[in-house]
Amino acid sequence: MATEDESAVKEPLDLIRLSLDERIYVKLRSDRELRGKLHAYDQHLNMILGDVEEVITSVEIDDETYEEIVRTAKRHVPYLFVRGDGVILVSPPLRTS
Amino acid sequence: MDGGAGGNAGGGGLSTAKTPADFLKSIRGRPVVVKLNSGVDYRGILACLDGYMNIAMEQTEEYVNGQLKNKYGDAFIRGNNVLYISTTKRTLGDQ
Amino acid sequence: MAHNPSHLMPSELIDRCIGSKIWVIMKGDKELVGTLRGFDVYVNMVLEDVTEYEITPEGRRITKLDQILLNGNNIAILVPGGGPE
Repeated sequence: MATEDESAVKEPLDLIRLSLDERIYVKLRSDRELRGKLHAYDQHLNMILGDVEEVITSVEIDDETYEEIVRTAKRHVPYLFVRGDGVILVSPPLRTS
Repeated sequence: MDGGAGGNAGGGGLSTAKTPADFLKSIRGRPVVVKLNSGVDYRGILACLDGYMNIAMEQTEEYVNGQLKNKYGDAFIRGNNVLYISTTKRTLGDQ
Repeated sequence: MAHNPSHLMPSELIDRCIGSKIWVIMKGDKELVGTLRGFDVYVNMVLEDVTEYEITPEGRRITKLDQILLNGNNIAILVPGGGPE
């Protein structure tokens, strides 16, 4: 959809379009988070991200004290494909406008 | 906006009804609470949405179990996770 | 069968609830009670003066909401007339 003003946010996916080639934050199901550069996306929110940091958070319950133990595992992935159905939230970098 | 929430109900007699499409038109630019199926709440200003209930929000705050966990300048929320979109003003109580 | 006047289609039943209290039971541990203002073909619903009931490990949480658009996707049961109490 070509419009006169390409920077306008008229539908939610415009927010993603304006984040192309920027680093974004992606919150996924099962407590996974990604931060990486958005190379491509489609209407399902399938995405190609580059230079990605993935953070996986898990909570375990201590058998004796019943305390919650929160663990975060991080890893770096040079390039990956995200299937859109796992996406909960996408946040572009902070813009001034 | 097309598809999804833009449809109208089957039967007649809807002249006084406020359909989902009417609701969506009326809340643009307003402060809202979006609750996801997971129970997480997002509070912010609704920028726009589409027929899949995909939502773009500004000044978004993420609440888990009523506690502020994160803030996002802009946020895109994928519609399939949305339980409801609410105009604000809410009170909480445990019982 | 489509034109049997004694046969009420589900959407007509919901249509008759517009303006009245309705009890919505979701898949999972959630229920809502509110006044139905409208709905669409997916049974997404506009509800007013809503009370939301959630079962959490800490007990039952009650939330009051002015006006909501409820996603029809996870609705299990609709009960015309009102709530669990």
